[in-house]
Order: sequence, then structure tokens, then C-alpha cells
Amino acid sequence: MESVDLPLLTSMLENDHIKRLLTAVALNNDQAAYKELFLLLHSRLKQFTYSILKSGEEAEELVSDLFIRIWEKRDQLTTIESPLLYFYATAKNLAFNRISKQKRQQNLAPEEWLVQLNSIYFDPEQLMMTEEMMRQIRQAVNDLPPRCRIIFKLVKEDGLKYREVAELLQLSVKTVEAQMAIALRRIGKGMHLDIKAAEQPRQTPKNS
Amino acid sequence: MSQEKFWVLLSKKLSAEADSEELKELENLIHNHPEWQYAIQNLEDLWKHSSQKDSLQGEDAFMLHLHRMTELNIPFGDEPAEIPAVPVTKVRKLKWYWAAAAIIAVAGLFVFGKSILTSHTDESLAYKEANEISTRPGSKSKIQLPDGSIVMLNSGSKLIYNKDYGIDNREVTLVGEGFFDVKKNKEKPFIIHTADINIKVLGTVFNVKAYPEDKKTETSLIRGSIEVTIKNRPNDKIILSPSEKLVVENGVITDAKLNSQREDVVTGSTVLNTVMAVNKLKYSPVDSSVAETLWIENKLVFRDESFEELAMRMQRWYDVSISIQDEQLAVKRLSGIFERETIEQALEALKISIPFRYEKVGNKIIIHQ
Repeated sequence: MESVDLPLLTSMLENDHIKRLLTAVALNNDQAAYKELFLLLHSRLKQFTYSILKSGEEAEELVSDLFIRIWEKRDQLTTIESPLLYFYATAKNLAFNRISKQKRQQNLAPEEWLVQLNSIYFDPEQLMMTEEMMRQIRQAVNDLPPRCRIIFKLVKEDGLKYREVAELLQLSVKTVEAQMAIALRRIGKGMHLDIKAAEQPRQTPKNS
Repeated sequence: MSQEKFWVLLSKKLSAEADSEELKELENLIHNHPEWQYAIQNLEDLWKHSSQKDSLQGEDAFMLHLHRMTELNIPFGDEPAEIPAVPVTKVRKLKWYWAAAAIIAVAGLFVFGKSILTSHTDESLAYKEANEISTRPGSKSKIQLPDGSIVMLNSGSKLIYNKDYGIDNREVTLVGEGFFDVKKNKEKPFIIHTADINIKVLGTVFNVKAYPEDKKTETSLIRGSIEVTIKNRPNDKIILSPSEKLVVENGVITDAKLNSQREDVVTGSTVLNTVMAVNKLKYSPVDSSVAETLWIENKLVFRDESFEELAMRMQRWYDVSISIQDEQLAVKRLSGIFERETIEQALEALKISIPFRYEKVGNKIIIHQ
């Protein structure tokens, strides 16, 4: 329980890291930094745009377009406040532009996005869980409602902050918070973590 | 404390959104419910367990991306773009490479440029008048081509280019090792032919090592993007990204060429698949130099090379012949740098890492246990 700060640290580090890379690209035309940035974000952004475009090929092309834009506008990159959000927001805009150009559809509500979650792996060596439990957790993740899924994915897999997810999906931070709680409760259920707070004795005396 | 609150707090903790007050609140709650411990621990583990990254897929995607940029005529280099069709945000300055390269003293240089009516076999250059510049073992040369592209030629190497280079085409043939800084020109791609591979370039900096006596041909890309085709695998194009090195096993073509003088006939060979690999260039943590290009600074750098490979390079570097009589010695691996050392000093230094004895008669060195 004492590793509280670990995710916080990694997420802060990541945003800082992206900022450093962007600065290197902006000021020094640093091609190695550009490549690192690409490798860092490519698969996440591709999955994110896939959820909107529903085509792997188009998602690949869109991410490439996005990085071309980054390269061409590199002298403006140093002023970006939330770099991760910037990438996702740009990807989202490009995807919506593409959809409306093809006259496929107007902007999709997050409910209509096709979100693939891929980070729930189980390493039985590391996680002390039974086969049955793992099956149930996987099921729980697969059954998350669409909006809940996209929020969960953006927070857990992509490392966005609640605030950034809220801005990206034009929701309130409270909504993100609630959806995250729902996602976790469902997964917890798969682990037989049934919190029935109302029935639990609240004032259990602390044991020494 | 509602159960909703608990889940909100736990998810905030896992996503690093909780402040210290919320963390405390959660801690108290968990403290009162030791039976939750196990499941909460599992949830936390699950959360931290991040997905493994498929870096290969990313590398592939990046290659495609660079290729796409090239096709869309988007400059991705350090030279100012020469194609005005694409808006370029700013003019970039030349990097330090050539400032550094320019001041390197190339002492003991022996260059002779001569016009020859070429008799060599590469179809693209055949029947045209050509310039040939070669360096003796122990010397190097810097060549400026008519279009401003610059080639540093390492010891015992040869560069051949047409009289009409830059007018109709930009094609050269390399035997040995060269460091290239190619001027950008989208209309006339710069093409290098070696015995085993062809390299197509738009404008970039890279090193090619293609000595006929070596076992492999190495192409190290410093920046930009180049396209390599291996002569006996004409359908495969390999696109290198910056900081990558392509190593191609010198194959049947070299041997056959020596015999037949006509490489285009060699395709019927039995060995069709040349062995190749793309590796990362290793930058020195001290000065971010790359071993592959340090020869232009008059340094013979070897990082984890076999004695046999090193001896090959030392022969060219010092203009001597070295023969290693002992097979176990030949495969010993060595790392180091020679800068001002004489051949004797270099050999003495090597003897410290791998004990051996040697005899030197004139330019001939024989090494044994």
C-alpha cells in the first residue's frame, strides 16, 4: 500500500518527458527525439483514432498525418501546456474531420466509439489469482459500457488525467470520476471484492 | 461512507488523481475492512501491470511514416529544403559535422583522379566516361562532387562517378568505405552502387563500408532517410531510419564478380537469400559519437570486434599486411581506439588484452600464440 506515489510519478514524468522531446524537436530539429515521440505515442493514438474511424488503415494514416503536422509546426511546439492532451485532441479533430469529409457521419458520441481495451493481462506468476477469477475480470472489462470503456482506457492505458479526459470528451470531471468508479467496481466484483459499505460495521475498533 | 465513495477514492488513488486528504480517507476505510485487503491489492497490481509495448510494430510504423513524408515531399533533414512547393517553417542550419570534418587534417593523403574509359561492370555506369578517385591504404580523402555533395573516402577505397554526374543523374560506385553528406535534390536521387547493394538517397548523411575483402557491407544512417536494395534480392527495399545500421553479408555476387566480371549474369546463383540485419547505432555516452563514423576524425575505433575484423581494418589503416596464424586469436573480441599510435604501439596495446607474439618484416606482420 505504500506505493501510492508511483502512478502519479510515472504520469508526471511522462508528460514532462513528452515536453522535453517536443522542445528538442522544436529547437534543434532533433530527429531522434521525433522518432522517440512517435514510438512512445503511435500505438496509443492509433488505437484511440481506431475507436472513432473503425479502420486500422485509416487510423495508421491519421497518426502519420498528425506527426507530419507536428514536424511542420515544430517551432510552435514549446508552448503546449498539456502535451498528451494536445496529441489526443488533435487526433480526435483529425478523425472527426475525416469522417465528416467522407460524409459518413457527424461527430460520434463517445458511446458510439469502438474501444478496444488491451491492457488487462494476467501474469499468474505475478498476480495471485485463480483461473476463474481472471476469467471473471476479463468478462467484467469486456462488459463495460462504451462510455465507461473509453474513459477507463484513456486513464489507465493512455495515462491521461481526469481533467484531460473531461476536456477531450467534453464531459465534466465529476462524470469521469463517476465512470472510473463504475469501471473499477465492476472489475472489483470480478475479484469478489464486494463492498457493501452500508451493511459493514463502520466503527470497527482498530486492532492493536 | 457510501460504497460509491469507496470506489471513487480507490480509482482516484490508482489513477494518481487523489489528494492527500482523499488518500487518508481511503486508508482509514481499508484499515477498517481488512477483508478487502487481498482484492484491493490485486486491483492495484492489475492496474500497475501495464501492457507490454510492441516496439517492433512502432519501428515499422515509423519507417512507413518517414517514407510517407518523403513521398509527400515533406523535408525531414537538416539542410534547407530546395523544393518550394511545400511550406517549410524555417531554414535550418547546417550541423557541426562538416564544420568538424572540414578542419580535420588529412595528412599523408594520396589521391589521384583520373579519367578512364570504364571497363567496369555496373550497368548504370558502363560505356560512359568516368572519374575515379582512390585512396591508398593509410590515407584518406575528401571529395566534393559537382553538385556540392561531399564524400570522405577512407583508406584503400575507390569512388567512381560519371563525367555527366549531376546533369543526367547522380550515381556513384563505391569500393571500400565512404562517409556521405548528400545535397538534397528530389529530381535526381543520389544512388550509390556497391558490389552487393544499391543505396538510394534524397539528401542525408550516412556512412557506407563495402570493402570487397570484408565479410559484410555496412550502411550506417546518421540522419535523413535512405533506401537500400540488395542486389540479389531486388524486390526487397529496406528503408533505414536515422541511427540505424544495415549489415549485409557479402554474398556470392562478390565472388562471382571477381571471376566473371559480369555481375548481371550472376542471378542464377544458388544462394539467393543474402543474410542481413538492421541494428541500432550505438552512441557513446561520453560524447555521443558513433564508432562507425569516427574514422573521419582520424580515429580507428573498434567496439566489440573480432581480432580478425580489426586486423582487416588495421591493414588498410596502417598500410600493412597482417596475418593471424592462430584461429583462437582470430575470434577474440576487442574494443578500443587508435589515434596517433604507430602500428607497433597499436600491436603492443592489443597484446595487453590478448597475449600474442608477432613478427614484423617490412610491411608484413605475422601474429601467433
